[in-house]
Amino acid sequence: MGSRREKMEMIIPSDFKYLGAVDAAVQDLARELSCAQRWINDFSAALIEACSNAIEHGNKLSKNKMVRVVVNLNGQQIVARVHDEGDGFDYKKYLSETSPPDPLSERGRGILIMKAFTDRLKYSARPEGGTCLELVKNCDAEAVPKAAAE
Amino acid sequence: MKIQQKELYGAVILELNGKLTGGPEAETFRNVFKALLEEGKKNIIVNLKKVDWINSTGLGILISGYTSVRKAGGDLVLCNVGDRIDSILYVTKLNLLFQSFDSEDAAAEHLRKEQE
Repeated sequence: MGSRREKMEMIIPSDFKYLGAVDAAVQDLARELSCAQRWINDFSAALIEACSNAIEHGNKLSKNKMVRVVVNLNGQQIVARVHDEGDGFDYKKYLSETSPPDPLSERGRGILIMKAFTDRLKYSARPEGGTCLELVKNCDAEAVPKAAAE
Repeated sequence: MKIQQKELYGAVILELNGKLTGGPEAETFRNVFKALLEEGKKNIIVNLKKVDWINSTGLGILISGYTSVRKAGGDLVLCNVGDRIDSILYVTKLNLLFQSFDSEDAAAEHLRKEQE
């Protein structure tokens, strides 16, 4: 991966059907830098979850509200910021969830997936309204196959 | 998401094609299960060979199906789970809820033995 940097930015409507476009864009970005498939799949799973939350809990599935996704990838880490245009929510309570819900519960696994596949999560309220979630995953030995890193 | 349906050794195989992410898919999935249970078909194999990935809402859809067939005395198992979905089942510990098989045949054989 070396010192190369890649950046991707996209804006999607609040509809689950656009999650595939986010995944495809991140996969393309990572391919440019020869990231290991497993590593980028894990990060993409977290990003898809973040976008799902922004669509459902942030923008409440409103077709008039958009989700903005910015991804920066360099030799040290991959950082994604997911912005929604909703009224905000109690993200501190959301982030404090640490254990899986009851196995038969149909909800409540989003934060678990994001925490499992990233190194850091940070929510912040946007001054102009809405919420921003930052996801960071460090590039470790698993991130780049040795041959590609040299 | 498209759902193709067939039967093998008395079990119903639902072959999903697309992404399991929620939205209208949840309603489609519930309707399929409702119709199957009304017909007395309660042993279900969900074939995920053509599903690349899933989010937490998609997991909820699978759990909803699992709960409905278990209440009716049946079972729901998975087959052909890819690496991406396998990782998500593992971190959410749902690998302990859903039994997973490498093929439709292996899944159907398991369900057949459960009924004996």
